[in-house]
Amino acid sequence: MTINQITRREFMRRSASLGIAGVAAPWALNLATLGEAAAATVNGDYKALVCVFLYGGNDYGNTLVPYDSASYADYARIRQTLATPRNTLDTTVLSPVSALPDAARQMALAPQLAPLKPLFDGGKMAVLLNVGALIQPTTLAQYRAGNVPLPPKLFSHNDQQSFWQSSLPEGATSGWGGRIGDLFLSSNGTSTFTCINVSGNAVFMSGQSAVQYQISTSGSIALRGVGSPLYGSPGCSAALNNLITAGNSVNLMEAEHTRIMRRALDANSQLGGLPSLTTPFDTSNSLAMQLQMVAQLIAARSRLGAHRQVFFVSLGGFDTHDYLVAQHPGLLASVANAVSSFYAATQELGVANSVTTFTASDFGRTLTSNGDGSDHGWGSHHFVVGGAVQGQRYFGTLPIVAVNGPDDVGQGRLLPTTSVDQLAATLATWMGVSPSELPLVAPNISNFTVKDIGFLAA
Amino acid sequence: MSALLSACGGGGGSGADNPAPITPAPGSAITDREAARFLHQAALAATDADIARVKVLGYSGWLDEQLSLPRTQSHYDWMIAKGYQSDPNNANNFQGADNTLWRKLMSSPDTLRQRVVLALSEIFVVSMGGLPVPWRGFCVAAYVDLLEENAFGTYRSLLNAITLSTGMGNYLNMRGSQKEDPRTGREPDENYARELLQLFSLGLYQLNIDGTVKTDAAGRPQETYTQSMISGLAKVFTGWDYTQFNRSDPAFQRLPMSLNAGQHSGSDKSFLGITISGGTPGEQALQTALDTIAGHSNVGPFIGRQLIQRLVTSNPTPAYVGRVAAVFDNNGQGVRGDLKAVVKAVLLDGEARADPAAHPAGWGKLREPALRFVQWARTFGVTSPTDIWNIGDTSDPSRRLGQSPLRSPSVFNFFRPGYVPPNTSLGAQGLVAPEFQITNESSVVAYANFMQTAIQSGVGEVKGTYGGWLAQANDAPTLVSRIALLMSAGQLSTATLSTISTAVAGIAASSDVSRLNRIYAAILLIMVAPEYVVQK
Repeated sequence: MTINQITRREFMRRSASLGIAGVAAPWALNLATLGEAAAATVNGDYKALVCVFLYGGNDYGNTLVPYDSASYADYARIRQTLATPRNTLDTTVLSPVSALPDAARQMALAPQLAPLKPLFDGGKMAVLLNVGALIQPTTLAQYRAGNVPLPPKLFSHNDQQSFWQSSLPEGATSGWGGRIGDLFLSSNGTSTFTCINVSGNAVFMSGQSAVQYQISTSGSIALRGVGSPLYGSPGCSAALNNLITAGNSVNLMEAEHTRIMRRALDANSQLGGLPSLTTPFDTSNSLAMQLQMVAQLIAARSRLGAHRQVFFVSLGGFDTHDYLVAQHPGLLASVANAVSSFYAATQELGVANSVTTFTASDFGRTLTSNGDGSDHGWGSHHFVVGGAVQGQRYFGTLPIVAVNGPDDVGQGRLLPTTSVDQLAATLATWMGVSPSELPLVAPNISNFTVKDIGFLAA
Repeated sequence: MSALLSACGGGGGSGADNPAPITPAPGSAITDREAARFLHQAALAATDADIARVKVLGYSGWLDEQLSLPRTQSHYDWMIAKGYQSDPNNANNFQGADNTLWRKLMSSPDTLRQRVVLALSEIFVVSMGGLPVPWRGFCVAAYVDLLEENAFGTYRSLLNAITLSTGMGNYLNMRGSQKEDPRTGREPDENYARELLQLFSLGLYQLNIDGTVKTDAAGRPQETYTQSMISGLAKVFTGWDYTQFNRSDPAFQRLPMSLNAGQHSGSDKSFLGITISGGTPGEQALQTALDTIAGHSNVGPFIGRQLIQRLVTSNPTPAYVGRVAAVFDNNGQGVRGDLKAVVKAVLLDGEARADPAAHPAGWGKLREPALRFVQWARTFGVTSPTDIWNIGDTSDPSRRLGQSPLRSPSVFNFFRPGYVPPNTSLGAQGLVAPEFQITNESSVVAYANFMQTAIQSGVGEVKGTYGGWLAQANDAPTLVSRIALLMSAGQLSTATLSTISTAVAGIAASSDVSRLNRIYAAILLIMVAPEYVVQK
């Protein structure tokens, strides 16, 4: 056993115990400084994950809609005025390569998701059924009896966003995207570009040592006052640069602000101009603009020395308590438009098989209506897209369409049958994380027998 | 001395046991620096006139004077006076709303009220990001007016006002929520019930008066409410809708919502240990519910701590929270939730007033980008020559401030009170730093770029007034030290002042144009210095 291996095991032990305890790792424990042995295996190839987070809690009922007449009738009766008319679903009915266990059941994508239908049909997209935050496999009886641990504060936005992104309650300082990044920091030429967020700040992208680099849809921002003489004075430009990077503050917040500023300036100088793409993206669609920036960053991967990257993009507005029928279709259209453009861009770049995109959200919603929308729920259906995806398939268990049914914890809130930790572990495994390292990424994975849902080819 | 000891104590004791430290009486010597520092917490800027006033009146006296100032023209009335209602297109946009918000933040003399209103708007969040309703700009304006009207009243009155406002009614979907219907399976909308408890009153866990979390014998935190209580409370909030709705006139947006009894749930409504019987009239049920919530022992520490965070420091000691919460519970005259008394308790507390040098290295708060911009505006007397305040939405994190008043991305505000920046020494020490949630590699650079232009050219027609500074500009060290006093309360180090002075002195003071460049450079270099960016 080499020293590096010992160091690595020590890091894993400490990280795992800290992660389970929900306590932040010592900030100074920087995996990147532990050397090559601290990284998971990379053979000079390239792989990336792209998380598309739908903020607010996506309404699963109108995203993947029951289509066979019996299920549709149940759906329409429960959803009342929220129900999507059946005849608008005719062209988006999914035909999987193997039928659902109940062969009578058919599901359709929301009409606005039509741009994703060719991806499903072409084997580049799979549907993940009823995924949600869990600590361990949970039956309805166990949920009702309250005799198994559950994610804290179910149905609460910030808490469930946190749990989805980190498998830890709100206040967590690392997420599973960032923890995957931790394991690959030393594989990348520049650790800064391991976890890149194009939509602001999300705990998903922070690791125990990986720092999320936040970039705008127009790329990194240059500091004008340093780029050209500040108010005509080169001396003032020099002073500006000196002040914001000096880093001699005792106050912890001042020091942290300086750290962010330095990272911004360093990253801007390293990124330079990014390649442009021929694949068109809809400039009026904020999610498409974010994914275009992801594609441009992937295009620059060789120059940046990137071998493993995790990206985060998001779209808000999914908290459809009201106006569900008016607003939800437009949101889904934005998702479908952006994701299909992005897949095309990965084809243009020749990396379609190396980039896996997946949707996530705070939670699903109720199936019942409040008259104009639906309320906070739990499990939900999600999509994975990419050349490595075992597409045109469903993964997981399709819930029964019912209120007070076997999958319902109330008002059609789904008790998840696949956990976020299983999703995280599957994606991490594809990236090259070894089985023994999975608990570092997904702290609850040891509670689940199936650690790879199987939607990604090796 | 007692104030210093209390400030250094690090907390631990319950606030109720610690009497509030004595604050300087009027007439005792308050320095310019101390006055400026106080104004950075209590107001939106420190001008020469403000500093002089604080020195004359003392801290408490200055607060009393501010508390007695009348409100200036309301947001709603200004928008009407400017004729925004005359264009039917404005029913479907926010024209005028950003304008009036910036107007009052930058120019209204009741600076304490404006500061507290901004803080309240970040606790009781309504955002232009979620108001797809007719006359939405007037809806926001009326909501902020209501925060102004109630900022120095009682928490209970504030709760009543926001609950029945069309702004909150629309933002969190209480307006139009209908009673349950067993036939169709329709359920009341739960959004307002949930966020009211989670964000506006109690929080998730039972608190001690000093804001620390109560635990059971096994050390586990105790939750404040359950999902079934949310469902019970949601039934209280059924049947409420616009009063005198009229698509062609925004006036309905400033009327409290009224009850349509036919849509109010007739079921028993159980939550927080009470049951409101099904037959109770809807208005009465609502008042009982709000009484119950406002009477909960969590409210003082929960709201008090957040007000401290918005005005003074991100990590108050439990003792400080406890002293403020004790005032919340009883203002000394038996009144609960007296926000006037609570604001005074926050700002006059020994921990807020103690010399910043006495505080630990994590003390203070990152100044919000919007507050920095407003501080520049007030310090340098911006004007809007046609009174239009056309600054607009400053949310863009790559070109503007990454924050714009009343434009939070969600009800969870621009930042959460418990936000811990990952991978930082702050986190390692168990400290929160809410404003860092919107501080990133794009925003820090964009802020510097935005201010560079704003200082020199203004934003829209809103421009700084620098004529009074030209004479001082001939002497760079004096210029820099005076601006540093106003902007940072003298919290820039000697080294930083020297760096800035030397650079500014490098611009020849040969003409008014170059003297203006000296002024611009001095302001910008101060406003990007980390020692300024963190208010201590």
